[in-house]
Amino acid sequence: MAQHTLEVLVENSPGVLARVAGLFSRRAYNIERLSVGPTADPTISQMDIVVNLEGHALEQVIAQLDKLINVISIKEILPDKAAPAVHDTQPDYQN
Amino acid sequence: MSQMTGASSLVASLEAAGVDVMFGIPGGAILPAYDPIFSSSIRHVLVRHEQGAGHAATGYAQVTGRVGVCIATSGPGATNLVTPLADAAMDSVPVVAITGQVPSVAIGTDAFQEADIRGITMPFAKHNYLITNPADIPRAIAEAFHIASTGRPGPVLVDIAKDALQTMTDFKYPHSVNLAGYQPKLVPDNQSILDAAALITQSSKPVFYVGGGIIKADASRELMELAQLLGAPVVTTLMARGAFPDSHPLNLGMPGMHGTVAAVTALQKADLLITLGARFDDRVTGKLSTFAVNAKVIHADVDPAEIGKNRFADVAVLGDLKNTLSALIPALKAALGKNQPDLAPWLRQMNSLKAAYPLGYDKPSDGSLSPQYVIERLGKISGPEAIFAAGVGQHQMWASQFVSYENPRTWLNSGGLGTMGYAVPAAMGAKVGAPDTTVWAIDGDGCFQMTNQELVTCALNNIPIKVAIINNESLGMVRQWQTLFYEGRYSNTSLESKRVPNFPMLAEAMGCVGLSCEREEDVDAIIEKAMGIHNQPVVIDFRVHRDAMVWPMVAAGASNDDIKIARETAPDWDSQEL
Repeated sequence: MAQHTLEVLVENSPGVLARVAGLFSRRAYNIERLSVGPTADPTISQMDIVVNLEGHALEQVIAQLDKLINVISIKEILPDKAAPAVHDTQPDYQN
Repeated sequence: MSQMTGASSLVASLEAAGVDVMFGIPGGAILPAYDPIFSSSIRHVLVRHEQGAGHAATGYAQVTGRVGVCIATSGPGATNLVTPLADAAMDSVPVVAITGQVPSVAIGTDAFQEADIRGITMPFAKHNYLITNPADIPRAIAEAFHIASTGRPGPVLVDIAKDALQTMTDFKYPHSVNLAGYQPKLVPDNQSILDAAALITQSSKPVFYVGGGIIKADASRELMELAQLLGAPVVTTLMARGAFPDSHPLNLGMPGMHGTVAAVTALQKADLLITLGARFDDRVTGKLSTFAVNAKVIHADVDPAEIGKNRFADVAVLGDLKNTLSALIPALKAALGKNQPDLAPWLRQMNSLKAAYPLGYDKPSDGSLSPQYVIERLGKISGPEAIFAAGVGQHQMWASQFVSYENPRTWLNSGGLGTMGYAVPAAMGAKVGAPDTTVWAIDGDGCFQMTNQELVTCALNNIPIKVAIINNESLGMVRQWQTLFYEGRYSNTSLESKRVPNFPMLAEAMGCVGLSCEREEDVDAIIEKAMGIHNQPVVIDFRVHRDAMVWPMVAAGASNDDIKIARETAPDWDSQEL
């Protein structure tokens, strides 16, 4: 599975890292690597998040991340070989 | 701009946000706010448990379409709000919760009544704030109301440190809110509307799969116009009951685990799902890989993360549903002018199923009271304007099945989280929002014992709700599963609530009228008696048969194709032309 990097611009406010990390955790996605740093604008930070996801799962992570109020924008850095679009659904389960 | 305490700034902000009522309980950390509340124009309803405040805010919001407000102190006050806030998140209800927090210097020291409520609510709240600077209060309140009520609605929590409430500050309420990271897309792209219209005209077996989003967007009128324009069948999910009238010939009823045969089969056999404000919940789809396998999907929603989450959408229409339907109606008219599909055979099949498998029930052979009969009569006697709030379990499913809903915002329940104990406090909030309307809580004996303390609040505050306890002396839905899947081993589901407590006496003790009924011939008279009481809450203990079950049923994890209309009884598919 190809690694994808998400460049996420977030508001530089308390709790933002917990919001982002918590979202990955509760939606059962892994973070391969994460770094947070300042930008030229002191009110905005940049998170670089590397994930081992593609297709539907990657689209979901981006869509859910984008719902966080403190997330301003998400840019997906494509891997060298672009993965084909996969429109799988959630696996079946009993509940 | 004027100088005042943070507490006064909070109350002035709530007034500026248009709040007319809030539900809550004071305590140490929020105490400074209760002083200006004392002289505010905002009505404060003093509840008996913070969970009641949260569900009341939800009930108020679901009936009025406005933001519901609840308020509590730090620590346990705040953690008691967790369940109703999670509930509001799952059912997309606009709620703002205000909590006091320990003084900012004490945060992180495990101070008395300290709980990290922002951290606790982070996984499900639409957004939340921790305010330690009083100057931030008006902006946080303005943003909280904006976020809670726009886009996909949801709960927002504002936690305010006690010292921020006590310190002097300048009050200036922002005229507008602009959040860089929150710009919900409300107007759909024209191309997506045209694509949806084109796909509809290519379908010979379309079905409108209608979710709670239609009610949130106040788009029932537009839905009626669209449904009649196309003449396709409509199914209304548990959260959408009332979005489209049950009496309309195109309405096939509720889909899902306890849906009608016609509604479940319509989704299964459709070649196109016109999905409006619904989210392909597991209770609707059953086993996802076998759900509506031949259908293409149009998915219209205001939340981009719902589109494609569980089911791939062939056409995604992102926007507010009222805007979406308003644009889709003329586009579809134009498209149908060029290509009018023949839906008659499809409608004939679905109407045949609807006629062959209406919702029904067998009355108990021992002559005891049928719970479905009670609920059916409650609906008939109270009329289509009445509001019903249900708890969670068998009585909830029967209340969805056997009350005919004709109007949006008349059916309240905890659909997503499945919160037992929702009914009484939600009905309380609903009655505050609609004081001139009859409000019934249809509750189970298990649910009722979780939150009935709010009847004291109702009795003391002139909130005359009516409660019908469907008392089968059991955790009925769990018992049903034990009957079907655990060989009748009834582990811990017998509540013995026909012995203890005495519900009418309990009701009377809380300042309500307490009534009891266990014979079918008395049902109408006792409901009419309750309908005639306007100055007090009423509780009726309907003592019903214990073994009634909810049918139809699709077992958890099973395919919708395996729907059963009674135990081990499938519909007679061979007699149906499908």
